[in-house]
Amino acid sequence: MNKIWIIFEKEVVDSLRDYRSWATGLFWALFGPLMMGGVLIMIGSSVREDIEQPLNLPVQNPQNAPNLIQFLEQHDVIVEPAPADPKAAVRQGDVNVVLIIPEEYGEDFSSGKSATVQLVMDSSRQSASPDVGRIQGLLRGYSTYLGTLRLVVRGVSPEVIHVVTVEKLDVATPQSRATVLISFLPYFIIFAIFNGAAPIITDTTAGERERQSLEPLLINPVPRRSFVLGKLMAAFPFSLASLAITLIGFGIVFNILPVEEYLGVRISLTIRTLIAIFLICLPVVFLASAIQMLVASFARSTKEAGTYLPFIALVPSLPGLALAFFPVKPELWTMLIPTFGQQIMINQFMRAEAFSLSNALISTLMTIVISALITLIAIRLYSREQIVIRKS
Amino acid sequence: MIEVQGLTKSFGKVKAVQSISFSAFDGQITGLLGPNGAGKSTTLRLLYTLLEPDSGFARIDGFDVREAPIEVQTRIGVLSDAQGLYPRLTARENIRYFGRLHDLNGGDLETQMDQLIALLDMEAIADRKTEGFSSGERLKVAIARALIHDPRNVLLDEPTNGLDVKSTRAMRQFIRRLRDSGKCILLTSHIMQEVAALCDQIVIISNGVVSAQGSPADLLERTGKNNLEDAFIEAIGSEEGLA
Repeated sequence: MNKIWIIFEKEVVDSLRDYRSWATGLFWALFGPLMMGGVLIMIGSSVREDIEQPLNLPVQNPQNAPNLIQFLEQHDVIVEPAPADPKAAVRQGDVNVVLIIPEEYGEDFSSGKSATVQLVMDSSRQSASPDVGRIQGLLRGYSTYLGTLRLVVRGVSPEVIHVVTVEKLDVATPQSRATVLISFLPYFIIFAIFNGAAPIITDTTAGERERQSLEPLLINPVPRRSFVLGKLMAAFPFSLASLAITLIGFGIVFNILPVEEYLGVRISLTIRTLIAIFLICLPVVFLASAIQMLVASFARSTKEAGTYLPFIALVPSLPGLALAFFPVKPELWTMLIPTFGQQIMINQFMRAEAFSLSNALISTLMTIVISALITLIAIRLYSREQIVIRKS
Repeated sequence: MIEVQGLTKSFGKVKAVQSISFSAFDGQITGLLGPNGAGKSTTLRLLYTLLEPDSGFARIDGFDVREAPIEVQTRIGVLSDAQGLYPRLTARENIRYFGRLHDLNGGDLETQMDQLIALLDMEAIADRKTEGFSSGERLKVAIARALIHDPRNVLLDEPTNGLDVKSTRAMRQFIRRLRDSGKCILLTSHIMQEVAALCDQIVIISNGVVSAQGSPADLLERTGKNNLEDAFIEAIGSEEGLA
C-alpha cells in the first residue's frame, strides 16, 4: 500500500511538471462547453434577427410602383436606392438582393396585364437566402392580395384560383436541431473524463518504456500490481479535474445564456444537478483510466499510444449518437453498459426528469466491476516478462 | 554472493543461454566476457529477475530468483543496459524515488544520497532536472539510484559502454572501491582490456555457454598463452564481436 502511494505521488508530481500536456488537456475539457456555447449564441442571434430586424432592400426605379413600395414599407422593409450596377453588386456580395421595377410596370399594371418586376440574386450564396426568401414571400403576398381584390371586384370568389392549398408543417426548426446538439452534452462529459486521463496514462506506461526507464524501475522490490495500481491512480486526479472543469464550463454556459428562450426546451444545470452528474460519473474515471492503461501498455512509444487512445475515447460516443437520434428509455439493459447508462442519467438530470436510484446503483456497480477486470488484465500483462523485452 | 547453476533460457527457437554455471564471491569483481550476442545480458536479466529461467537456478545471497524475487531485488543494485531517467525530475528526485521504493526514507535516505552524490562527484548537478544531462551525467544518476539502498551485490551491464577515457577511468576506480568495501560485483563486457584490468575472476561466454572460467592466472595456465587477450581468443575460438 505504501509503495502504491510512493508511485502515485511520483507520477502526479512528474505529470504536473509536464505543464504542456495538462494545459492541452485543460483546453480539451473546455472544448465541449465552448462549442456548445458558441452554437447556442449563433442560434439565439439568428432567432432574434429574423423577428426583429427590418430588411434593407435596394430598389431600382421605386417611383414606377408607389403602391408596391408602400406595401413593402408596411411590412418592415426599408427601401434604399439601388446601386448603379445591381448585377455586379449582387455578384460581388455587396448587397444580398436588388429589386428592379421596369418602366412598363405602371402601364401593364393599369391595363390589368401581369406586371413584371425583377429580383437580382445569387442562389449560390447561402447567407443571402433568408433575405431573398423574405422578399419573394412579400412580393407573392402582394400579388395574391391584389389578385384577390380584382376577382372580388369582378364578382368571382377568390377560392376559384386556390385549387389546392398547401400548408407547411416544418418540424426542423433551428430549435430542434439544437436539441440534437444538446443530446451530445452527456458524451462531451464522458469524453472529458477519458481525455483528462490520457496524457498521464500515456506518459507513465508507453512513455516509461520509450525513455528506457521501465526496466530499471521494475528491478525495484515492489510487486508488479503496485506499479499498475499506483500509475492507474495517478491518472485519477487529472481525469477528475477534467470532468470538473467541463461541468463548470457547461454550468456557466447554460446559466448565462437564456437557453430556454433560444430553444424552447428547459435545460437545468443548477449546482445540485452538476454535483449529481459529477457523482454519477465517478466510476467512469476508473474505467477510462483502466482501459486506456491497458491499451497504452501495448504501445512501444508515446506516439503509438497517441494513435490508439483517441479512438478509445470515441467509442463511448456511439451510444451517445444513438441517444441523439432515437429516444432511449432508461431501461435496465442500458444501465449495464458502462458510459451508456451514465449518459442516459445525465440526460435525465439535465431535463429534471425523475430518476431511479437503483439504476444509478446498477450502472455504478457494473462500471466498477468491468474496470476492475480490466485492471486485473493490466496487472497480468505487467507480470509477464514480455513487458520489458519488447523494446521501442 | 551469486550462485548460478545450469541456467537456461530460450526465446522461441533461439537458445540465448544454455546451462550456464558460475559463482561470484563477495569482495571480488567477476567479469562475464563474451562477444556481442553471447548471452551476457540475458544472464544478467535472469539474475535481476526480469526474465524467468526455463531451467536451472540462480541464487543471490541464498535467495532463489524465481521463488523469492522481492528478497533478491532488495539485495542487488543493477545498472542495466536501459538507463532511462525521468527528465522532469531533478537528479536527487530520481535517486530519492528509487530509495523510497527500497523502503528507505527520511534522514537515512538523505544521508545515503548525500554520500553517493559526494562519492560520484555530482554535487553540481544534483538539484538540476535531468533533461539535457550528458551521457556521463546520466550514468552517474543511474549508478546512484542503483546503489541507494547499499546492496551487497552489484550487477553492471557493460558499465563503461559509450564513456570517454576520463569517465571510463573514473568508472573503473569506482568499481574497485565498491569491491574494496566487500561487495560482490558482477559485470559484463565485450572489451578484453577492461576485463583484464578489472576482474578478479573471469567467466567467458560464447554462444550461450561458458567456455572457460577462473582467475586471470588460471586462464593463462589453462590455455598455455602468455597474455590474457590470446587466452580469451583461444577460449572463445574466435575474435569476432570482441574489442
